[in-house]
Amino acid sequence: MASKLTTGLTGLVVASNPHHTLSALYGKILRALTKMPQDASYRKYTEKVVQNRLKAVEAHKDVTTLEKEIACGQVEELIVQAENELILARKMLGWKPWESLLKPAPQKQWNWPPAKIDEPMI
Amino acid sequence: MAAIIRRIGCRAISNFAAKNVVAPKAVGAIRLSSTTPAPPAEDKPTFRKPNEAARLNLSNFGRYVAECLPKYVQKVQLTAGDELEVLIAPEGVVPVLQFLKDNHLAQFSNLVDIAGMDVPSRQYRFEVIYNLLSLRFNSRIRVKTYTDELTPLDSCNEVFKAANWYEREIWDMYGVFFANHPDLRRILTDYGFEGHPQRRDFPLSGYVELRYDDEKKRVVCEPLELAQEFRKFDLSAPWEQFPNFRNANPPAETVETKQETPKK
Amino acid sequence: MAGREAVRKAVQQVRPILSVDREEARKRALNLYKAWYRQIPYIVMDYDIPKSVEECRAKLREEFERHRNVTDVRVVDMLVIKGQMELKETVEIWKQKGHIMRYWKESQDPKPTDFLSKFLQGVN
Repeated sequence: MASKLTTGLTGLVVASNPHHTLSALYGKILRALTKMPQDASYRKYTEKVVQNRLKAVEAHKDVTTLEKEIACGQVEELIVQAENELILARKMLGWKPWESLLKPAPQKQWNWPPAKIDEPMI
Repeated sequence: MAAIIRRIGCRAISNFAAKNVVAPKAVGAIRLSSTTPAPPAEDKPTFRKPNEAARLNLSNFGRYVAECLPKYVQKVQLTAGDELEVLIAPEGVVPVLQFLKDNHLAQFSNLVDIAGMDVPSRQYRFEVIYNLLSLRFNSRIRVKTYTDELTPLDSCNEVFKAANWYEREIWDMYGVFFANHPDLRRILTDYGFEGHPQRRDFPLSGYVELRYDDEKKRVVCEPLELAQEFRKFDLSAPWEQFPNFRNANPPAETVETKQETPKK
Repeated sequence: MAGREAVRKAVQQVRPILSVDREEARKRALNLYKAWYRQIPYIVMDYDIPKSVEECRAKLREEFERHRNVTDVRVVDMLVIKGQMELKETVEIWKQKGHIMRYWKESQDPKPTDFLSKFLQGVN
């Protein structure tokens, strides 16, 4: 585990105990997700990803094999990703994006090219 | 007058462009006359063909975004063959950008640019366009939303620090107000400048001109006699009259998103 | 009556910029006026402009009077925001003397009104 000296990325220091950090973060994400409704797509997809990663973390005690198994960068990057996801999940609880569309687009708002719009010229 | 000159200029350029497009076709025809005829897909060799696998990936990802955020996403489309666009309601700027930045499967951590666009004939005349880049998955996405002169948009400065100056630029050029921006002020125009120069109703020459006054020993500002009194908002592309252009790729293809009615 | 109800509903649906009602917008405008009013002596001193404090205050009042009959709350807010930005630019001395003097439009000749001078200047 001590074999890694640097991540090679500026400002990203080597994690001292990545397995512990990762599993704690994933646990927090899953707990935040349980507060969302069952059929929210965001919850379903994120739970799948996070649980896969959590399983990989538990299965592989060696950092290099863990990185290879998840294949999404080094463990330090995985930690950053998990932190981001945790922030996002907590904010999502406030936003409730699984509700139905807030308001439809005004007529012809997304028409292109605009020359075809022959509505009132201002 | 200036408008007329510009239009003529455009026409000259488009004539030139049309010749350029036609020329290689004729050459191809001569060469092919002695060999087997080429497959029909090959008849526009100058057109870049989008990669089908990439298109499928992008439209799948667009569907994923629409499914995760049904509250904000109004439409998902592919433009120019393989550029993914997500069209959202103005309230969803911060949630959508935060989702695209922080989600495990998106990770669009770079804000490349924020652009503005003005179409005066629409109900909400301004479009604000966010270009994002994901280094992790080597892909780009474009998020578009709309507003008008008096409706504020949420600043995405808390999500992307890079948005600070871009939003100042949009404010300066279009007059779109960003709520919760930490430091919204002019960035490109001079102090005391009035108006927003990128609006389509802003004359090309501006309203004032500046000169150095030798008596007063400072720069003075005088209104300009507007040579350009009337401006017609002719938004049609000047090369639309050429069939080669008209039948090119469709400008946008909608990605069908499953619009199920989610429960509250 | 029904028409007015509809208008009010349409107005309520828009998102406010800063103020939710006219009273709040009015307060903001007054605050801005006061802030400018108090800064004028310092502005005159810092920029060394050939105007007295009284002249500047008269100009300030004139600039505000120009928008006297603006009633839309959001338009008032937008004007207040722009005025605030201008005040900051002025107080922080980001502007220069010429920018301050621009308010007086000194070098602009008044437009000719009677026929002969119009004819001589070649405008109609």
